[in-house]
Amino acid sequence: MNPVLSSLRARQLSGVRCRTCARLLRREKRSFATASGAGDPEGDPEIYDVVCVGGGPAGLSLLAALRSHPTTSRLRLALIETQSLTPLRTFAPQPDSYSNRCSSLTPASVGFLDGIGAWRHVRRERVMSYGGMRVWDGVSGESIGFDVDGGGGGVEGVKEEREGTEGSNGGVVAYMNENVNLTSALLRRIEELGGVDILEGEKVEDIAFGEDTPTADLTSWPVITTSSGTRLAARLLVGADGANSPVRTFAGIESRGWDYNRVGLVATLKLSGPGWGGEGKKIAYQRFLPTGPVAMLPLPGNMSTLVWSTTPALAARLKSLSPEDFCAMVNAAFRLRTPDLKFLHTIEGGQKDEVSWRETHTKFSREQVPQDVVAVQPGSIASFPLKFRHADSYISQRIALVGDAAHSVHPLAGQGLNQGQGDVEALTQNIIYNVEHGADIGTRMNLEGYGKERYWRNHVLMGVVDKLHKLYATENLGVVRVRSLGLGIVDRLEGVKGWVMRRAAGERGLF
Amino acid sequence: MSLLRSRILNSNLPRELIATCTLTPPHREPHHRQFSVLNRPPPNYEGHVPLTKTERVGMAIGSAVLAFLNPRRAETNKDLIATLGETTSQPYFITRLRDTMLLTPSGRRILRLRPRITSSTLSLPHLRSLPKNTLGHTYALWLDREGVSPDTRDAVKYIDDEECAYVMQRYRECHDFYHAITGLPVWREGEVALKGFEAVNLGLPMAGLSVAAVATLKKGERSRFWGVYGPWAVENGVGARCLIDVFWEELLERDVGEVRRELGIEMPVDLRGVRKAERERRRKGREEGERSGDGLGIN
Repeated sequence: MNPVLSSLRARQLSGVRCRTCARLLRREKRSFATASGAGDPEGDPEIYDVVCVGGGPAGLSLLAALRSHPTTSRLRLALIETQSLTPLRTFAPQPDSYSNRCSSLTPASVGFLDGIGAWRHVRRERVMSYGGMRVWDGVSGESIGFDVDGGGGGVEGVKEEREGTEGSNGGVVAYMNENVNLTSALLRRIEELGGVDILEGEKVEDIAFGEDTPTADLTSWPVITTSSGTRLAARLLVGADGANSPVRTFAGIESRGWDYNRVGLVATLKLSGPGWGGEGKKIAYQRFLPTGPVAMLPLPGNMSTLVWSTTPALAARLKSLSPEDFCAMVNAAFRLRTPDLKFLHTIEGGQKDEVSWRETHTKFSREQVPQDVVAVQPGSIASFPLKFRHADSYISQRIALVGDAAHSVHPLAGQGLNQGQGDVEALTQNIIYNVEHGADIGTRMNLEGYGKERYWRNHVLMGVVDKLHKLYATENLGVVRVRSLGLGIVDRLEGVKGWVMRRAAGERGLF
Repeated sequence: MSLLRSRILNSNLPRELIATCTLTPPHREPHHRQFSVLNRPPPNYEGHVPLTKTERVGMAIGSAVLAFLNPRRAETNKDLIATLGETTSQPYFITRLRDTMLLTPSGRRILRLRPRITSSTLSLPHLRSLPKNTLGHTYALWLDREGVSPDTRDAVKYIDDEECAYVMQRYRECHDFYHAITGLPVWREGEVALKGFEAVNLGLPMAGLSVAAVATLKKGERSRFWGVYGPWAVENGVGARCLIDVFWEELLERDVGEVRRELGIEMPVDLRGVRKAERERRRKGREEGERSGDGLGIN
C-alpha cells in the first residue's frame, strides 16, 4: 500500500477520532505497509472504525453500503472472511447451470442494493423476477393465489424494472437470485470503491479486549486476532459471521430458539418449459406438506430452484435416489396426496413408475402446479438443518450483529436473506447518523437505534413464519379444516391479500 | 342451467358482469361441483350413478331403516346393505380406506392390478384340490359349507371416485375371505359378529350400523353377542392389521393358521359348534323334563 495514501487517509480520519488515535494510526499504518499486511502479534493492533467478521451477503453489503455513502466512505474498514474470496472474483458461470443456493430478494432489498450501487454488478440474466405466487395446503388442497398484476395488491418494481430493462413494468413479488451472484456483485462493488482491508482465508482465532498502552487505551475495544496473527482493534465490530457467530459468543449474547428437526433440501431443476405463463409471467409455487413446505421458485429459462423442508430421514432417502426417481418425487410432492408421498418415501427405487401411475388417479389441475421436472442438475442436491434462533440483543458495547448471526428463520417465507439486508440498511443508517453527529459509532448507547429498529420487526416476522410452519405441520383433521377455512377466507379478501403481499415484498408500514 | 344462461345472456346486464357470474371458478374441480337432479353429470365410470347430497342422505336413511325392519330382505338380497355401505362411506371413510391401501406395497399392488374375485378368476375345483391346511382350501370349504358363491356381489354404483368405487368393490368381494378366515357362518348371528369386526377393523360406517341388527337377534344369540362375539370383534378388529390391503389371491396356498397369525386374527369359538351344542343341551333338557314329567305322571 502506498504510504502517502495511507497517511492521507489517516489525516481524513482524524476528523472523527481523537488526535492521539490519529497519530497512533499514522504510525501503525506505516508499519502495516512495510509488513505488507501481516500485523505484528507483539505490537499494538491495527485500529479500524468497522471490522466486519464474515463475508456473506450481509457483511459484504454492509461494507459496500458504508463505502458508497459519502459520510461513511472514509471510515477505515476491514473484512475478515474464513474462506478465500477468489471464487467470487472469478465468478464465471455457465449460462444454463445454476447454484443450488438461491434466495429470493424482495423489491425492498433490491432497492437497497441498487442504492449502494451493487445491483448493477449483479448478472441480471441470471436473476428471475416473479409476479405471482401460488400457495396451497397439501392435505386439504385449499389454495391461495397472489398475483401482483391482478388483484393481489401492486408492488412497485425497482427503478431498473421501471426503466424497462426486462421489458416489463409490472409488479414484482421478488427476485430469485443465486447467493453467489449477489456476493460476487457486492465484492466487485467493494473493490470498485476500494479502501477495505480484506483479510480473506483467515479465521478469527481470538477476540479479547485490548490493553492500555501509552499511546491508546483499548481496554473497552474488541481486539481480533486472526489465524495469520494479525491483530485488529475495532471501534465497531460487526458480526456477520453466521449462525455460530464467534462475535456473538465474544459479546456474551445468548441466541435462543429451537431446531425444527427438519432440513431444507435444495436442488437446481430443469422443467419441461419456462412456466405456464411463459418467460414473462413466472410464478413461485409452495405446497404445505405435513413434513414441511416444498417450494419451487423460478430461475431464467426452464430452470427452477427447489427448497423442500422435510425430515432428515426423508431427505437422506431423497438424496439416495436416482436422478429420474428424484425428479419423480419432486413432481409427486406438488401433485400427489399425502398417503402416496408417505409410501413413496419408504421405497428405495421405482418412484418414477409409481408416480406416473398415481398421477392418473389423483385429481389436480396441471396448470396450477409447476411444470414437470425433467432433470436435476448433477451435484446440486444438498441439505441444511432448519432452525429458529434469535439473539437476545443485536448490540453490545462496540458490537453489532447482522444477518444470520442475529437470527435464523425457517425458509418458508423466503425472508432470511432479506432480513439480513434490512439489518444492514438500518445499521448503515445508524452509523451514518452517528458520523454526521460526531458521535462514537461503537458505543452501546449510539447503537441502540439500530437494535430498536430491527429487533421487533424481525421478531414479529420470525414468529409468524414459525407459527405458519407449526400450523401446517399437522394432519389433525380439525386443524386442517380450520386452517383451510382461514386460507379460503384470506384468498377472497383482496385487501388482506394485498397487505400480506406488500409485507412479503418487504414494504414497510403498520409494523 | 342452459336455459337460465340464455335468459341471462339475453338480458341487458353489463357483459363483464355476465361473464363473471356465469363462469365457474377455474380451480374448483368438477368433482366438487354441486348439481341437482335436473342436470346430473355424466358417470365417472361404468355403472356410476352420481347422487346429489339429498339423495345420498335419503338413500342412506331409507336403506338403513328398511334393512332394520326387514332383515330377511337384507340378508337374502344384499342390495339394502350394499346401498347403505356406499351412501354412508362417502366422502370420508372410503377415502381413508383407500389411503390405508396406498400405504402398503400389497395395497398398492391391489389398486394397480385391480383383481376381481369371482368364480372365473378363482377356480373353485383347484382350491378344493389344495392341501387341507391352506387358505384356499379353507375358503372353498367355507363356500361349500355355507352354500354361497363368490359371484353374488353387486357392482358399486354410488361412489363418485372411480378408484374408491373399486375399493368398495374389493371390500365386498373380500368379505367372504373374512368369513372363511374367521370361520363365521352367514346366518344373522355370524354376520353381525363379522360386521362388528369389520366396523372396528375397516372403519366403515355401514358395518357399524349393521351391528344394530343385534337387536333383532334372539335372546340367547344376543347374550352370546355381548358376552363372546362382540368382545371378540372389538379385540380382533383393533389387534389385526387392516384387512383391506391383504392380497388374498396370493395367499391361497399358504397355511391358514400362519396367515391368521400374520394378520393377527384369533379364531372365535365355532358358532356352528356352539349352536349345535346349545341345541343338543336344550333337546336333552326337554327330554329330561319330559321324562321327569312322565315319572310324575306315573307316580
